Amino acid sequence: MTAALLLALALGQYTPEEARALFQEGNEAYARGDHAGAQARYQKLVDAGLGGPDVLFNLGTAALAQGQLGPAVLYLERARRLRSDEDIEANLAVARSRQVDQVVGEDSAVPFTWRLADALDEPVVSSAFLASWLLGFALLLLAAVRGPGRRLGLGLAAATSLLLASGLGAAVAIHASVRSRVVEAVVMAPSAKVLELPAEGARTSFEVHAGLKVRLMEHSGKFARIRLPNALEGWTPLEAVAVLQP
Amino acid sequence: MPRIGSALIVLLAAGALGAPDLQFYMTTDRPRVGLEDLFRVEIVVGNAPSDAELSLPASRDFEVLGRAESTQMSFSTGPGGSGHIDSVRKHTLTLRANRVGKLTIPPAVLKAGGAVHRTEAVTVEVVKGRLGGRQPPRQALNPFGLPPGFGGLPDEDLGEPMAEPDASDADLFVRATLDRSEVFVGEQMTYSLHIYSRLDLSSVDNVKPPKLDGFYSTDVKVPNTLMPEQRVLNGVPYRQYLLRSRALFPLKPGASTIEPAEVDITTGVFFAGRRVNRRSNPLTVKVLPLPPGGSSGVVGQWRLSREVSQTQVALGDPLQVRLRLAGKGNVQAVSLPVLKAPPGLKAYEPETRDRTEVKGNAIFGERVVEYTLLPQQTGSFELPAMGLEYFDPSTRTWETSRVEPVTITVVPAAGGPVAAGTTGPAAVDPNAKNQLVGGGLRPPRHSATFAAPPRPLYARGWFLPLVLGPVGLTALLGAASLARGALRRQSPQALQRQQARAAQRRLQAARRLAPGAPAAEFYAEVERALVGFLEAQLSEPLQGLTRPELAARLERAQVAEAERARILEVLERCDLGRYAREAGEAPARARALEDAAAAMEGWS
Repeated sequence: MTAALLLALALGQYTPEEARALFQEGNEAYARGDHAGAQARYQKLVDAGLGGPDVLFNLGTAALAQGQLGPAVLYLERARRLRSDEDIEANLAVARSRQVDQVVGEDSAVPFTWRLADALDEPVVSSAFLASWLLGFALLLLAAVRGPGRRLGLGLAAATSLLLASGLGAAVAIHASVRSRVVEAVVMAPSAKVLELPAEGARTSFEVHAGLKVRLMEHSGKFARIRLPNALEGWTPLEAVAVLQP
Repeated sequence: MPRIGSALIVLLAAGALGAPDLQFYMTTDRPRVGLEDLFRVEIVVGNAPSDAELSLPASRDFEVLGRAESTQMSFSTGPGGSGHIDSVRKHTLTLRANRVGKLTIPPAVLKAGGAVHRTEAVTVEVVKGRLGGRQPPRQALNPFGLPPGFGGLPDEDLGEPMAEPDASDADLFVRATLDRSEVFVGEQMTYSLHIYSRLDLSSVDNVKPPKLDGFYSTDVKVPNTLMPEQRVLNGVPYRQYLLRSRALFPLKPGASTIEPAEVDITTGVFFAGRRVNRRSNPLTVKVLPLPPGGSSGVVGQWRLSREVSQTQVALGDPLQVRLRLAGKGNVQAVSLPVLKAPPGLKAYEPETRDRTEVKGNAIFGERVVEYTLLPQQTGSFELPAMGLEYFDPSTRTWETSRVEPVTITVVPAAGGPVAAGTTGPAAVDPNAKNQLVGGGLRPPRHSATFAAPPRPLYARGWFLPLVLGPVGLTALLGAASLARGALRRQSPQALQRQQARAAQRRLQAARRLAPGAPAAEFYAEVERALVGFLEAQLSEPLQGLTRPELAARLERAQVAEAERARILEVLERCDLGRYAREAGEAPARARALEDAAAAMEGWS
């Protein structure tokens, strides 16, 4: 109870009961077909910092029910990053099937590090790494303190634990590196021109539409350089895309 | 002259093919007049039997100022080439209202052939003063009994002021009229084309209608035969023939002009005819945009209805939903709302049927859209409410015609075919299944954990210190150990001192042994302490040497004789102490410790 109150105070908006009530109102609105009303309520929870994977999933689903592909893909992808499951994947598949854009010549050889980072359950791997790392050093210390003739077993155990920790640590490092270097975004505007240069009068290379996931390479002024999975690149207004990492 | 008032009553006479139809109707030329204005009422009786008796309308609300009659006869051919003679008699009353208000002219009555026929009553709105417009000439009406059509009759009001026809056209001209000069977009107005002639007409060879760009049009009347009506224009009698009338529905707002029509007419009779060409007058109409309040663009007076063949149906059994729109207006310009069948009912491409009907000069339309729905699942399904928004030009308001939702209940198929020879409805397909089709959106979660998205563990402040801590600690310990080893190797004197201190500690340990400890253990500890001390000082191992060997080593190390003797004595006492009972006593132990300590301290 104290923790809940502290959480509410920290968040400054909804108590747990209020959050549950607002969530329930959203579900009831969805059930009677008022998808816009449901979306508004879920959005309030997310704006208040209560955007866990369930709330994000519901928000994305309500947006998808109204045909708003941009917000739908954005929030479903954010939910997937927190906790991937069948329902999220299924609704994302529905959203992709409704997208206007089809990326042709998509590079199927997605870097191994990206796939690993995507597949990793970060909290689990990080915790396992810490545990095996600390255990390994503890065993090492114990072996050092023991007299000759009793160190072999402990030493082997320490080596095994540290070897395991190295592998897990590498995975954690890859995850952290990918997440910090690779910034993904979703096209939110119904239609956005992609220009050759970050300037208003530049020639239009192609157009993208709501729901397409792109990689954000850099930004200059009010333009952002985006890259598609098939390496098509260009500059689009920053306001037309939303970054996946909140 | 706009025709306002009663409907035409046409009675089809039974009998021979081609027999003329009885016509009997009443019209007025002005629906709204001032108290001081004159207006006309015309009662037309066509093809009445010889025993017909006409009773003209009479009312205290009106004063009859003039009365005129005219008769016209014409010969025309009907279907199949049969001919007949039409005889039309017109009775024209010039009236003036006696009071202000909405007054009714009662119907005229015709008794003919044993039946009584009545026209419809005509309503005239009378206001104070004078509204102007044409006034009938205040002259004696037919005072000399001239035949009808020659003087005495009021002039025809053709609506718009018309220039005097050219001299060459004076005997024959074509006139186009509109019943309205101002309409809304999509509202009907009627375009009529008449021939006015003082000559005998043989035929109308060609009618080139005007281009009606910007209008949707459809025929209202296209007479097969030309029926003349007597008209007086500027005091000159003419025979008026209706060529055609069309309903026009303007498609866009603004001022529109309708170009003249062209007509080729052959005058004269038999072989003395002359072909002439006449053009009608252009017309201008003002089309108003629809007022705000709606966006459908549908104009008219419409009613939407929906019929469902059945509200309970078996799985696999089709049902029909008929959406019907009927009313006054241009049905071609109407788009019916699309029926959105709920999931579970498969809708097939609908069939659409349109029907148009002319009543008087107004176009009425009906559109029926028939859907066939095939239930795919059992359960209750709702056909949603539907509505059609339209603009009613008569009230100048936007209206909506709605149909309410309908619930369709689908039950499982009864199963089993109907036995041969039995009557009744066709058997429901027993193989129809309740299709549960997957796909679509997964439903939202019914419960949730409300927490801010967590930061990755590796991004938290304590992670890195926790990872680097053991490494640092291990490094620190290793460094310390290395340092210690390095110190030992670099200073033999320090090593000696270290060993000596170790020996002293061992002597202290022996001293701390409890008095009850075995003597052998005590004296062994004292011996180890002393030998350890000697090893530290001589830097060579001495453990396991016999006493003579030890003595030799001490001598070789040039240890002073007195010191040598003291050390050997202590060692000998330790040897004896292991076995002699009295040596295990406390005083003996204390003496041994003192001697050993003295030997260590006296070392030089």
